[in-house]
Amino acid sequence: MPAIIEARGLRKQYGDLMAVDGIDFDVEEGEVFGILGPNGAGKTTTIRMITCVTPLTAGRLIVDGFDVNHDDRAIKSRLGIVPQDDNLDEDLNVRRNLEVYARYYDVTGKLARERIDEGLELMQLAEKSGERIQALSGGMKRRLIVARALVNAPRMMVLDEPTTGLDPQARHLVWRKLRLLRERGVTILLTTHYMDEAEQLCQRLVVMDQGRILDGGRPRDLIAKYAGANVLQMHLIEDEQVMVRALLAPALERGARLEQIEDVLYGYNLTRQDADAVEQAVADPYRVDFRRAHLEDVFLILTGRGLVE
Amino acid sequence: MASITASVEPPNETAPPAHRNGELPLLGVALPGRRTYRVWQRHRDVFFQLWRAELFPPILEPIIVFLAFGLGLGTYVELTGDQDYIEFLAPGVLVIFPMFAATFEALWGAYFRLERSGTYAAILATPARPEEIIAGDILWAATRMQISTILILVVMAVFTPSWSLIDSPLVIFVLPLNLLAGLLFSSLAMAYTSTVRSISQLSYFFSLAVVPMFWISGGFFPLDDLPAWAEVLAWLTPVFHAIEINRGLVTGHPQWIDLVHLAIIIAVAIPAFWFSLWAMRRRLVT
Repeated sequence: MPAIIEARGLRKQYGDLMAVDGIDFDVEEGEVFGILGPNGAGKTTTIRMITCVTPLTAGRLIVDGFDVNHDDRAIKSRLGIVPQDDNLDEDLNVRRNLEVYARYYDVTGKLARERIDEGLELMQLAEKSGERIQALSGGMKRRLIVARALVNAPRMMVLDEPTTGLDPQARHLVWRKLRLLRERGVTILLTTHYMDEAEQLCQRLVVMDQGRILDGGRPRDLIAKYAGANVLQMHLIEDEQVMVRALLAPALERGARLEQIEDVLYGYNLTRQDADAVEQAVADPYRVDFRRAHLEDVFLILTGRGLVE
Repeated sequence: MASITASVEPPNETAPPAHRNGELPLLGVALPGRRTYRVWQRHRDVFFQLWRAELFPPILEPIIVFLAFGLGLGTYVELTGDQDYIEFLAPGVLVIFPMFAATFEALWGAYFRLERSGTYAAILATPARPEEIIAGDILWAATRMQISTILILVVMAVFTPSWSLIDSPLVIFVLPLNLLAGLLFSSLAMAYTSTVRSISQLSYFFSLAVVPMFWISGGFFPLDDLPAWAEVLAWLTPVFHAIEINRGLVTGHPQWIDLVHLAIIIAVAIPAFWFSLWAMRRRLVT
């Protein structure tokens, strides 16, 4: 499949800070691609370079066949951008927001009306058309920004932390809408620090930390590669540490792995029997959890630390 | 499936270290294109959304000034010749209050759009370039100056039967002149806004640049009675030149020297406009 984004050796330096430190990735047409990482990982900076808002320090970045260094206009006219902060025009009502925004893309008249109607409909905002921005909930504002990003019928949507700050219902609604767009063939690039969001939406993703890409692939494959099928998560008191490690020694021989990340001990490639044995050995079985591995485990293994907010 | 991270090529170092998007042919800025108009349209639409709130004060302002200075203070001011003080005042009011309107827009309006409301950021994501956002804002500030000028002209026309504030149809040329002066004032204000880190800093431009300029511009008292250095100082302020030209247009007696004043305004406006594009671009593109 052709790549719609091709990044090679992408770097961005702000003074002494290397915000993005030489990353390579491809986004393929029609997929949902995620950049997963804690705050400060360089996700937003990467997005800003792709959307031609921030110049590169070094590297090569091709978006839909255009070089970001020279064809910023061509690229911007092909992208739909949902920024991290709500920057709707509070002086204009819902519909006027989209009309004014469409004009920057030279989308006017009948075409604009059709696109705006469609976008509002799609985002379940049709009845809010005449509403003031201040009267919208956080989730509605997000959806309106998505509708705004659709006025130029973009080839690719770029979303920077699309659901940060939303309540669970609002998040699920936004996710549903994004899946709907994917079904319509829109390529979606999103950043997130929510593991469940990445698992829900992304076909492929890269994990970023401190300006670098640690690894990437399909969420399933990454989970299988780093964490296996299940994880035994243990909050142990000091005495239990030694005992549990002894108890699991035979399993470790077989290829299981233990990792202490901050105050939690994680066991990978353990069996149900191993988990039961640990549960019986510790004083409080609620401090032991045998569960399916998920993306968060991959992240913890890759960065060796918890999410820094 | 192409691998995400398996690129083994060394990072491509061909990109120049501090390059910018697109080409910047004019000493570090790109020529603003037609999307300048789109940005201007946005400001116009917001203005008309709020026109009831926006229109009243600019009418009231000159009325208060004409009444206060013309009737009140004016009765104590003796001018050489038989001119009423209010008649002396009118050409100055016609520049100074519109200048306030333009400057406010390019200070508080632009700063708000830059730092608070995210308006600049939102437009930057579209095909509009930074230069077009800045030029659109400056053009809008100059438009505010035009709106204010028209309203003051209306007030002056209404007062003209009582005092002869407008003596000549030449007064219509105040509009293109003020548009030019508006571009100049708002470019200067915009350049200052690009350096400002907190909203309180904006008022320094007013108290340290605009207000002194307004006193020394010859709009509120004749410079003839002042020492020579005051007139030198006046020549250094853009407002003075605009008021001088206005004086000729309002009375219907333009002077040849007005062409010099006009040339000075143009000569300052062009680099000021370029400089504001350059300075605000630096702020927007990091």
